[in-house]
Amino acid sequence: MLKIENLVTKFGSVVALDGVSFSAQESKITTVIGANGAGKSTLLRTISGLERASQGDITWQGDSIIGKRPEDIVRMGIAHVPEGHAVISELSVEENISMGSLFRRRKFKSDVQVAIDEAYQLFPRLLERRKQLAGTLSGGERQMLAISRALVSRPQLLLLDEPSLGLAPLVVEQIIDSVNTLCRTTGLTVLLVEQNANTALGVADHGVLLALGKVVADRPAAELKADANLRAAYLGY
Amino acid sequence: MNTFLAALFSGTSRGAIFALVALGLVIVWRGAGIVNFAQMGQAMFSTYIASTLITNGSNYWVGFFVALFAGAAMGALLDILVMRPLSNKKKTELLSSESMRAAVPVIASLGILGALQALAGILWAAEERGFPAPAKQEGLSVGGNVMPFTSFDIFVISVVALTLIITTLFFKKTSVGLAMRATALNQEVAKLSGIRTNRTRTLSWAISGAASSLAGLLITPTSNLSPNTLDLVLIVGFTAAVVGGLDSPAGAVLGGFILGMVISFVTFYDTPEDVFLSILAVLLLVLIIRPRGILGSKDVRRV
Repeated sequence: MLKIENLVTKFGSVVALDGVSFSAQESKITTVIGANGAGKSTLLRTISGLERASQGDITWQGDSIIGKRPEDIVRMGIAHVPEGHAVISELSVEENISMGSLFRRRKFKSDVQVAIDEAYQLFPRLLERRKQLAGTLSGGERQMLAISRALVSRPQLLLLDEPSLGLAPLVVEQIIDSVNTLCRTTGLTVLLVEQNANTALGVADHGVLLALGKVVADRPAAELKADANLRAAYLGY
Repeated sequence: MNTFLAALFSGTSRGAIFALVALGLVIVWRGAGIVNFAQMGQAMFSTYIASTLITNGSNYWVGFFVALFAGAAMGALLDILVMRPLSNKKKTELLSSESMRAAVPVIASLGILGALQALAGILWAAEERGFPAPAKQEGLSVGGNVMPFTSFDIFVISVVALTLIITTLFFKKTSVGLAMRATALNQEVAKLSGIRTNRTRTLSWAISGAASSLAGLLITPTSNLSPNTLDLVLIVGFTAAVVGGLDSPAGAVLGGFILGMVISFVTFYDTPEDVFLSILAVLLLVLIIRPRGILGSKDVRRV
C-alpha cells in the first residue's frame, strides 16, 4: 500500500501541496484528478523524489521513502512517467527502453531482456520503430515509449502523469486500456494523475480529488463519477 | 607540392590534438553544463608529473600512463570537491538569476586554472623545459627522400584516432556510455530511470581530464612545457568546440581538424603572425553563418 500522510511541498513561498493524505491500495488503479494547478504533478514528483517535501510522510509497503533520491526510489519498485511524454528524443527507441533497466543489468541479468520483450509485446509499434530516434515518434508512440521505459524497471507501483496530454482520444483509449490490462493481469499498482477526469474515473477503482493542494474528496471512483455537485464545483463540467 | 603535403600533415597532427582538447571540453559541457577553463591547467599539471617521473629515470610510458591517470583523477576530484557543491541548488539560492548560477562554476574553473598554474610555478619553477617524444621528430625518410612529416606526427595521429574510436564505441555501445549520454541529454529522465547521475557526471569529468592530459602529452614535445604553454592550446581547443557545436562530440573533432588545417596552412603559405587573425576569422564566420556551430543542435543558446 502507498500511504501519504499530511504531505506538504512548497516552491519558495508557494504551497503546492497543503497537507495531503490518502492511500492507494495494491493492485488497484487510484486516480488523482483536479483542475490545472491543483498540485497533481507535484504530488507525483514528490513521491518519486524529484521534489522535496517540507513536511509529512510517504510510505510504500511500510517503508518510508521520504527524502530518498529518485535513483533509489526506482530501485524500491516505484516508477514515474512524468508529464509530457518524457523520453529522450536524441536516443533511439531501443536505447530509451533499455535505459530503464540499466540499473538491473547486474543483479537481474536474465530478466532484463524478458522485461524489454514484454514491453514490445505490450506496444508492438515500438518494436517496428526500435532503431528510430525517439524524437521522430508520434505523441502517442512517445507516451508508449515513456511507459515502457518505466515498465522495464519492473515496478510494483507505476506513477502515471497525464498520459492523455495532447493525444487523440483513440490513442488515449489504447494507452489507458494497456495500463488497465497490466494492472488486472500482473497486479501492478497504478497511481494515475489526470486532468481528463471522465476517462480516469472510468478505469480507476478509487478516486482522489485535489483542489489547491488539498484533498477535497477521497472515494470509490464510481461514486466520484456520479457526484454531479463535486464535478460542477471542482472540475467545471 | 612538398609544402602542401607538409602543411596537410602538420595540420592533421595539430588538428588531432585540438580535437582532443575540444572533445574534453564538450564532454564536460554536455555532462555538467560547464565550460571548464581549468582543463588545460589540469593537462599542464599532469604533464609536469610525467616530466618529473621521466627526468628521474622512469620509462616514458610509465610517465605517459601516470599522467593520463592523474588527469582523470584531477577531473573527478574537481567535480566532487568543487563543481558538485557549487552546482547544488540550495547553497546558491542567493543568486536569483539562472544565468548567474550557471556562471559560478565557470568562474570557479578560471580560479582553479590560476591556482594550478601558480602551484606548478612553485613546484617546478616557471621556466620552460623540454618534454620527450616517444618517436623521432625528424622528417621521415622513405627510399632516400625526406618526407615532410615525422614519425612523431604519425604517432600523434594514430593515438588520437585510436582514442576517438574507443571513445565513440564506449559512448555508443556500452551501458555506462548510454547512462552518460542519457544524463547529458535529460537529467530528470535519467534519474527516474535509476541512473546515478552524480556518478556519471563525475565520470565525464574524469574522461575529459584524461583526454586533455593526453593532448598535453602530445603537444609539449613540440611546444615545450611551462605553466602557461597550454593556454594557447585551450583557446584554440575552445574555439574548435564552438566552431563544431559545443554540444556535439563529432563537431568537436571536426572543429579541431578545421582549426589545425587553418593554422598549419596559414603558417606554411602566409606568416605565423596571421594565425590568430585567421582563427578569429573562422570563429566569426561560423558564428555569423551558423551560430550553433557546424554540428550543434538547435536549442543551444546563441552567442
